[in-house]
Amino acid sequence: MVSKTEEEQVNRLEGQVENGGGGEWEYLCLVRKLKLRRSFNVLKYGLSILNNPKKRSALGSEEWTLYEQVAIAAMDCQRLDLAKDFIKILAEKFPESKRVGRLEALLLEAMDLWEEAEKAYSSLLEDNELDPVIHKRRVAMAKAQGNISGAIEWLNKYLEIFMADHDAWRELAEIYVSLQMYKQAAFCYEELILSQPTIPLYHLAYADVLYTLGGLENLHMAKKYYASTTDLTGGKNTRALFGICLCTSAIEQLTKGRNKDDKENSQLASLSATALEKDYKQRAPNKVSLLASTLRSLKLSS
Amino acid sequence: MAEDLVLDTAIRDWVLIPLSVVMVLIGILRYFVSKLMRSSNQVPDPKMIKEGQVVIRARNLRAAANFIPAKSFRSRRVYFSNEENGLLYVPKGQAQNAQAQMFSDPNMAMDMMKKNLSMIIPQTLTFAWVNFFFSGFVAAKIPFPLTQRFRSMLQNGIDLSTVDVSYVSSRSWYFLNLFGLRGLFSLILGEENATDDTQRMMQMSGFGFDPTRSLGAEKDSLDIVQHEWALPKFEQRAEAVLKKLVS
Repeated sequence: MVSKTEEEQVNRLEGQVENGGGGEWEYLCLVRKLKLRRSFNVLKYGLSILNNPKKRSALGSEEWTLYEQVAIAAMDCQRLDLAKDFIKILAEKFPESKRVGRLEALLLEAMDLWEEAEKAYSSLLEDNELDPVIHKRRVAMAKAQGNISGAIEWLNKYLEIFMADHDAWRELAEIYVSLQMYKQAAFCYEELILSQPTIPLYHLAYADVLYTLGGLENLHMAKKYYASTTDLTGGKNTRALFGICLCTSAIEQLTKGRNKDDKENSQLASLSATALEKDYKQRAPNKVSLLASTLRSLKLSS
Repeated sequence: MAEDLVLDTAIRDWVLIPLSVVMVLIGILRYFVSKLMRSSNQVPDPKMIKEGQVVIRARNLRAAANFIPAKSFRSRRVYFSNEENGLLYVPKGQAQNAQAQMFSDPNMAMDMMKKNLSMIIPQTLTFAWVNFFFSGFVAAKIPFPLTQRFRSMLQNGIDLSTVDVSYVSSRSWYFLNLFGLRGLFSLILGEENATDDTQRMMQMSGFGFDPTRSLGAEKDSLDIVQHEWALPKFEQRAEAVLKKLVS
């Protein structure tokens, strides 16, 4: 997760370089450090540095890192010819290097030569059993080929070893949600909440999954997680507010016959409804009537 | 002993400063040599990595246990500390094995020996050099008074028993530099430098036990944790937030 100051810095540098104010190298370094994916810009500015022999020699030994970065950006922008040139230069300089081997396999992937790429990755893994990047590339390949179950298998194997990698858990959760395997997705989101409990995004996603699973207990839990999201975002997350209203109405529907235990204070629902109305009035005034009718229908469903 | 010995400034020029300079240079040399000698087969041990990750995950579970529902917490706790195949469960026999294994593993033993050597040899050589060249005279005066007990340690070459203990020989200056230049090295060479002897010694003693012992420790602390689901509290907090927002 990129911090706010860093984000501002990146944007400022980007604007500066675009208007021709220099500072390309700092921009590229920052992008590399924060692992952002701004391939178009990286390619443009990287090329301008690399094609200028004076600037290139000024970089010294950092030149090769720049080659790697621009090669990956070129592959992202489908400029495979450029990528091939860069990788060739790198391979000449560093023969037998694992890093260059990874780049070459990446190039094979970009060219849609899945078999060769798979072979290249397996041979790389033989040398180094525990390279997380290669494992992740394999998962990405399986996903790109549409082989979702293979991707799940690889990802599970990866997570067995590297179980503290929260990005991988997030990827797995999203795959499960796309396959409608909600229970497993709930497990993954729980892992995410455990590792980073103050990120409202994970609470929200978890609440969504619980709501989709349905059932009284899950709905109660979903409501609580929507509430925690609201708390963590200061009430500004529209989706969480909607979630609260929907959960309340769904719970009321399910407990229609039984006696409602009134410790479920209904203030939360009405408060979130009011907050929603206020928000809509501010931001989308022409939709206020739509909102009002929806809310009315929810309240009337009990 | 109230006499004040006047120390020649030549001592400062020719003993104290050259000694410090030499030690700094040797430290830098050692750093680069250790960098060169570091074997490139830094293949991370799969078991170590997995254990490290397990510890991190267990720690996260402990820290944020109150954010997930009770059922999930319990199932995770069982997963970790289950008697048969729990991740953190380490049978007593294995705990001893790790250290023995470490010493019998030829690669690791070689690595440790290399690191030891790179630490010990320069120290020994410098110490011998100091003793040979810089002994038999008073090198410096320590600004605070000391008891008589320190005499044997600090006044090696000086065979007069009447000299104030604050007047020390160059050997003590060597030791002072040895421990004090650590800060300087971390400034010059960056954080990771092989001159951090004391740290290395601590690391060596704790090395073999680290994985298995930390697993056991994690398991114990996990068993202790009481789960108290914090989410209901969040509902009230959300209400308060919304009230403020709406009003």
